[in-house]
Amino acid sequence: MTEAEVIELIDSSLAEEFELDRADMAPEANLYEDLGLDSLDTVDMVIVLEGAFNFKIREEEAIRAIRTLDDIHRFVLDKIEQNS
Amino acid sequence: MKAVSDTEEKERSESSPATALVWVMNLWAYSLLFVWTLLSLLLFPVAFVLGKLILRWSTERLVRWFIWVYGRVWLFYMSPFVRFERQDMDLLERDKPYLLVVNHFSFFDTFCMALLPLYNIAFAVRSWPFKMVWYRSFMRMARYLDVESGSWGETLASSKETFAHGGSVLFFPEGHRSRDGHLQRFHSGGFQVAIAAGVPVVPLCIDGTNRLLPAGRMLMHPCRIRLKALPAIDTSNFSETDGHIRLRKQVKEQMVKTLTAMRAGES
Repeated sequence: MTEAEVIELIDSSLAEEFELDRADMAPEANLYEDLGLDSLDTVDMVIVLEGAFNFKIREEEAIRAIRTLDDIHRFVLDKIEQNS
Repeated sequence: MKAVSDTEEKERSESSPATALVWVMNLWAYSLLFVWTLLSLLLFPVAFVLGKLILRWSTERLVRWFIWVYGRVWLFYMSPFVRFERQDMDLLERDKPYLLVVNHFSFFDTFCMALLPLYNIAFAVRSWPFKMVWYRSFMRMARYLDVESGSWGETLASSKETFAHGGSVLFFPEGHRSRDGHLQRFHSGGFQVAIAAGVPVVPLCIDGTNRLLPAGRMLMHPCRIRLKALPAIDTSNFSETDGHIRLRKQVKEQMVKTLTAMRAGES
């Protein structure tokens, strides 16, 4: 998958899971302040990403540092690169 | 010029009995809540030992039963001011595991779950209820789930264990209390647990607790509270990828329709 395809899959998966408006999903959007997610959504987000990309991430410390949509993009792209 | 108009003066005098009723209700309810909670804390050790010796139940089952009885007594002493109604409780079979999902208006929603014919329920809640010192030990012994600070794996494993022993798990899919009386976005966690564990989902609609004690308020008001069970949903039909989203949407749609009908009936 290209980087653009990965980002599109992330954004479409999160939009479906959290009923987000794609127009609001700018890379710099803060998950909590701009997109209205909360701590309960973090667990659901992990499960969504694991399902979309077929990897395990739920025990990783880096998830706790995620604040923006771009943070998620970078995290997943790094993870894909590690796995390949 | 009068500081207050005649109309305002009339309205104020007419509202005095209602205001007095509210104050009497709150004095009654909060006093008894304090007394009953204190009494429960004192009675619990004896009840627990007797329960273990005579009934030989597991700790979590015994404590969940005790919590259910605590709630039942709350229903009783609130009944001079609150009319409680249950609908379609015959849809729930005892000792059959369910994933129960209920909408959330008020702190007292959990107390109202004593209206259910089931007592063996583990509640899945956020972290803050565990900070209430007088309730925390009971919640831990009853193996309530802290879905905010616990991991998904822990939530699923603990839920499966509850189901394996004939218990049910209850989620508030909105995650926090609605402040406008409408259903908020549903979180997926409970639905994912139900599909992964292979247990049916039973939606429960509660109405009236937003009038009893709205979120962010301290004064209770007399009201009518209704708890209605909807038919169980077989989760084996939702095993595809993102099946939990389809299940979540279906349940929410059913609950919105039911709550609308309940309120239409009332008005």
